[in-house]
Amino acid sequence: MSNADVVLDLKGLLCPIPVVKVSQAIKSLPVGGVIEATATDPGVLADIPAWTRTTGHELISIERQEKLINFKVRKVK
Amino acid sequence: MGKSDNTELTKKARELLRKQVDRKLAAALETCVRCGICAESCHYYVADPRPEHVPAYRAEKLRQIYRGLFDPIGRIAPGWVGAVPVSDQMLDSLVETSFASCTMCRRCTVNCPMGVDNALVVRAIRSLLTATGRAPEMLEQLAEAAIMREEGLEYIKDLFLEQIAELENELREKVGDLKARIPVEEQGAEILYVALSGAHTILPASVLFYATGTSWSLSLFEAANYGVFLGDTPRAKRITQRIVDEATRLGVKEVVVSECGHAYTTLRWEAPNWFGKPFPFRVRSLVEVMAEWIEKGKLKLDPTRNRLAVTYHDSCNLARNSGLIEEPRTILNACVTDFREMTPNKQHNYCCGGGAGLVALPEFSEQRLNAGKPKVKQIKATGASIVAASCDNCRHQLGELNEHYEMGVEVIGLAELVVNALVLDKGRVPGKEPVVAATV
Repeated sequence: MSNADVVLDLKGLLCPIPVVKVSQAIKSLPVGGVIEATATDPGVLADIPAWTRTTGHELISIERQEKLINFKVRKVK
Repeated sequence: MGKSDNTELTKKARELLRKQVDRKLAAALETCVRCGICAESCHYYVADPRPEHVPAYRAEKLRQIYRGLFDPIGRIAPGWVGAVPVSDQMLDSLVETSFASCTMCRRCTVNCPMGVDNALVVRAIRSLLTATGRAPEMLEQLAEAAIMREEGLEYIKDLFLEQIAELENELREKVGDLKARIPVEEQGAEILYVALSGAHTILPASVLFYATGTSWSLSLFEAANYGVFLGDTPRAKRITQRIVDEATRLGVKEVVVSECGHAYTTLRWEAPNWFGKPFPFRVRSLVEVMAEWIEKGKLKLDPTRNRLAVTYHDSCNLARNSGLIEEPRTILNACVTDFREMTPNKQHNYCCGGGAGLVALPEFSEQRLNAGKPKVKQIKATGASIVAASCDNCRHQLGELNEHYEMGVEVIGLAELVVNALVLDKGRVPGKEPVVAATV
């Protein structure tokens, strides 16, 4: 059971669209809210960490399970 | 808005425009004769014929500012020359005009009897809006993330290499050779290949580099340059600098840019001007390289492996702005059996509606999908099942148009079509043969 506030299915989306979707979704969250997402484009492995560092949000985790990449981001500000 | 604020804004706009107005932009601002021919050239106007969708109308917005700031009469008696004072309200109204109602495709320019470069004008407007904090947030974030990718390279590199290791396994599986590699930071490689973030721009190219025995190295950085979309030359230069430094460090002879329209145009045509000197390496698009491989017989292709009817969407940046018109056709005629041209095509092709960063701006998706109507009509008229595109922005947009307008086509890149038709040595076909050994 996920404890995330928003769960995003980004499977099949090519970069940079996963970043765009996460950026959109995080706007609706309160500070401290968590997004959990699953993507298939391996580009997110570099794009999401770069994006969280840029925007100041916290990348809680990012890991690959075979073809799927799961990551969690917490809204910081 | 108080008067003092407007004074400050006017001062800032004057400083910004003074830096922007070179001979090219001055010509674009001074030579429009308001004939209106550009209207029918614009995919926005064709999709929705409103005055706001006429390129000359959009450009006039900057001319109004320009006259007020730089025309001697405009500074004294603005009304006489149609000058309009800079205000927050005015700049706010230009956000949609420049970021959502023009893809800087230059179809209007090639049809303009005076050759007015409206794309240059729109970029100057974007520049003004970015400098005054009005640019779409997503473009800002993506540009900053690209810079962060270098500044935080130690942190991001491991994750990037993890991605590449996974793709390398896929490459080995596809070509049936456990020694096949996706080299990164390969000192002495002849080519630095600059892909986009997605695997779809790395894996097919890797198969082709493998098949042709090319000496290459994959760039640590992605080709996309959101600084260009922002009209922010210093940031665009900063993003380009990463690639220039990497290519110089590795000593490559050539930088090959993935199938990406703006990335190629930027690196090939614009960036050397920012740096003030030619690069110590050649710049080509993967499209040019693939065409050359085919012409020189370096790729054995079986077009019957792509039997469905294929049409080709000319990227505005590659075809109209860079002259890569015959290269894609050389590729398609060699790797598919039924290639059908769109009408109009080549340098007169309609923009898909997704260029200039629009596919990354969800707040303007309605305008973007509407502007894609002429493209949808073109595609449907060909009766093709597959739409090939050699630009990632186009691919994103065509994919969304396909879904939104229920076209029932498949959108694919040129390299993927080539790989699909590729016959490796001894008649092997990528992905169709078992991996030779099961070690590792």
